[in-house]
Amino acid sequence: MDENPGLSDQYRMASPWPLFIALGIPIAELGILFDLPALAVGGLLLLCGSIAGMAKEAGYAKTPWRALAVCSVLLFGLGGLLLYADTAVAAEGVRFVARGYAVIAAGGLLLLGSLLGTAFVKESQPI
Amino acid sequence: MEINGQLALTVLMGVFLVAVAAWLTRVENWRSYTPLASGGGAYGQESGHAHEKPGGLIRWFTTVDHKDIGMLYGLYGVIAFLVGGAMVMIMRVELADPGMTLISNTFYNSLLTSHGITMLFLFGTPIIAAFSNYFIPLVIGADDMAFPRINAIAFWLLPPAALLIWAGFLIPTGDIIPAQTAWTMYTPLSAGVGNGNQANAGVDLMLLGLHLSGVSATMGSINFIATIFTERAEEVTWANLDIFSWTILTQSGLILFAFPLLGSAMVMLLADRNFGTVFFAGEGGAILWQHLFWFFGHPEVYILVLPPMGIVSYVLPRFSGRRLFGFKFVVYSTLAIGVLSFGVWAHHMFATGIDPRLRASFMAVSMAIAIPSAVKTFNWITTMWNGRIRLTTPMLFCIGFVSNFIIGGVTGVFLASIPIDLVLHDTYYVVGHFHYIVMGAIAFAGFAGLYYWYPIFTGRMYQRKLGKWHFWLWMVGTNITFFAMILLGYGGMPRRYATYLPQFITLHQIATLGALLLLVGGFIWLYNFIISWLEGPVIESGDPWNLKEDGLYTAEWEWFDRKLQTKITDGGEQQDVATDGGHESDESDS
Amino acid sequence: MAAKIFDKETILDLTVNIIPLGIIGFFVVVFAVYDPFGYDPLASAISFGLLLVPLVALAALTYISGKAIAGDEKRSEVFLAGQATVPGSQTLEEYEAQAEPDHEPAELTDDESAEDAETEPTAQNTDD
Ligand code: HEM
Ligand SMILES: [Cu+2]
Repeated sequence: MDENPGLSDQYRMASPWPLFIALGIPIAELGILFDLPALAVGGLLLLCGSIAGMAKEAGYAKTPWRALAVCSVLLFGLGGLLLYADTAVAAEGVRFVARGYAVIAAGGLLLLGSLLGTAFVKESQPI
Repeated sequence: MEINGQLALTVLMGVFLVAVAAWLTRVENWRSYTPLASGGGAYGQESGHAHEKPGGLIRWFTTVDHKDIGMLYGLYGVIAFLVGGAMVMIMRVELADPGMTLISNTFYNSLLTSHGITMLFLFGTPIIAAFSNYFIPLVIGADDMAFPRINAIAFWLLPPAALLIWAGFLIPTGDIIPAQTAWTMYTPLSAGVGNGNQANAGVDLMLLGLHLSGVSATMGSINFIATIFTERAEEVTWANLDIFSWTILTQSGLILFAFPLLGSAMVMLLADRNFGTVFFAGEGGAILWQHLFWFFGHPEVYILVLPPMGIVSYVLPRFSGRRLFGFKFVVYSTLAIGVLSFGVWAHHMFATGIDPRLRASFMAVSMAIAIPSAVKTFNWITTMWNGRIRLTTPMLFCIGFVSNFIIGGVTGVFLASIPIDLVLHDTYYVVGHFHYIVMGAIAFAGFAGLYYWYPIFTGRMYQRKLGKWHFWLWMVGTNITFFAMILLGYGGMPRRYATYLPQFITLHQIATLGALLLLVGGFIWLYNFIISWLEGPVIESGDPWNLKEDGLYTAEWEWFDRKLQTKITDGGEQQDVATDGGHESDESDS
Repeated sequence: MAAKIFDKETILDLTVNIIPLGIIGFFVVVFAVYDPFGYDPLASAISFGLLLVPLVALAALTYISGKAIAGDEKRSEVFLAGQATVPGSQTLEEYEAQAEPDHEPAELTDDESAEDAETEPTAQNTDD
């Protein structure tokens, strides 16, 4: 039991990220469902930022910046889908434009963060 | 006005994000100073905890230790149980008299809906996760869960889920009212069509909350499957895996197939409500929802009952002075229930007019699934038979479980027979049936676990006299309440009504009386657990139940004993537990 | 190999699951022979599918788990559930050998147990 090699001794007994991932998901969902751009953008930033931070902490990534870029690509895809849905949906009074732009805006901010981080933050500094 | 609202929201969100970022930077910086303890020596890992865990509240918000997360799940489940219990007490008092007296009929419907969802998704699943998170890594000899951080995410999704599910009660406005769809959320009512009030955003919030709790359960299940498959200690072969871990493994498999389906169905429903889709609108839409819901819903009832069966199979032998009779029967029948529970869902839909050939098949499989359940019952009884029984509080709850499960199971088999179900469907008989299992069995097993492992959780012992009072009030209360419901069902009382014909008054009053006994028992339990946690006698040996005597000492107690001996407190809490724990416990390693 | 793992003992353990399999099989035959609701290509196909899919799935899972459990029993030491990692715990064989003859080992000692009052035996042991 004590000699388990591998992952076990890398375990940290505390991590600040899970809480914020868990907050980011419902905030983003609420924002997208009820068409509240502030919540949608904010929730997605919180979610993706925390995922990137956690990926780094867990050693899956050296820095969080590339993870942020990956997230932003996914968000561009989702936003594009919403924009497409807006043109395809026939139902009255249902609009996806604002939702689509909110998601894309979140993706844009993440990409910006990723670029700035790569350019200006030195390697060793914890986030 | 509209713009102002959006603006305010944006500013709020911005401030929140900046605050989070600032806090994270601080925490990360500060943590990078603490050296990573290398898990070298025998207790290196544990002393590692003590150094690495931050203190105070922050510890609980940032922990990824399975034991802490188990405690959090437990606290969460208990709070949800109190909330759900309070809701149903209001309902039961309303039902003490046939008319609409205390609360409005619509409010009754809201309480009914929230009570069901709270108890199943916010109490049932989390209280099981409390035990499984705390004990499975200990019992199978793993360092922690396979994915500790995902474990933490799964827990932290639950508080927002609860807030969303209760949002209709918490947000006092006219346009957000609590859902009144009942936990089954049948369309078209839940799709918000027609003249009812179920188009309001309270229902959307509830659906989102439920969806979140499903995401949480799915994450947890993946974690348990990975942990049990890959993190077992070398000695813990499949033949040595304990029964509780088997039930959690099976439950996780069920969750993995059932919850994503519910999630998708709820997304479809949300789209119907908000985006003008017509998944559940056209011809067959209502029956489609029922099929999707019950394909999740029946496995869900076994998701809830299998781990409690595991707890009983684990605890009951320890107070019978012998090992579990037919251990492997119990394991294999657990797996059988797991598979078969996906083949019976339409026994909830016998009265919908589906094709009789399909109905007959569902009946056949429902009969078959009763066998593994009965096998377990016989194993528990045989374990106790001629055993050296010690009627401790956890044991009493286990015996209560077996007794109530028999009544719940037998009434279930009757319901699974089509002609009988056509008479009893949607009556109080069904309510009686599943409460015998949900309250009489699942909750009882949960409390058996809480009492049995109370010394591990708190380092102290509860007051046993109060424990007995609690048990007997609950045993009697449960049987009065739910047997009255079974009789009400025979009499033709339909379920889910706030008012009823005067002819049902006596039985309804009896049921309310039983519920009051449950309330009193609940208060006793709460008092006992809080007071004993603060000032109960400190546990000094790792074997408070004298399990060694019968050779039934298990790994989690052995861990506890080690913890007491090394005087390691878990991150600064409960200093006194360890202050003089070192003396007495020496003898226990002999 | 497989023949060795599925010996008499293991088959006996597996009977729990063979019974529900038998019940489902029984209904398959009944519905095929007796055919109470007439034949309809779609409905009958689904109806038999609803019986046969669980039947096959259960048989498969029973086989796989039986192989894993019985195999591990043969490959390594078996302990009582939850005790494999406890230092110094008995193996299943030792436990059985000790539990067979007559009474349980020690008489009750109610000392340092925190819930001692509860440890008094309520069932008199009259062995068979
Ligand atoms: C012995 C095996 C069981 C059988 C054969 C069985 C059968 C049934 C049947 C046929 C119904 C539908 C009644 C109706 O609506 O007309 C039903 C309802 C229900 N059963 Fe069971 N049951 C069994 C065990 C369980 C267990 C173990 C649980 C819980 C863990 C459970 C929970 C429920 C619930 C919650 C409902 C009501 C669902 C609703 O309409 O809201 N049952 N049962
Ligand atoms: Cu069912």
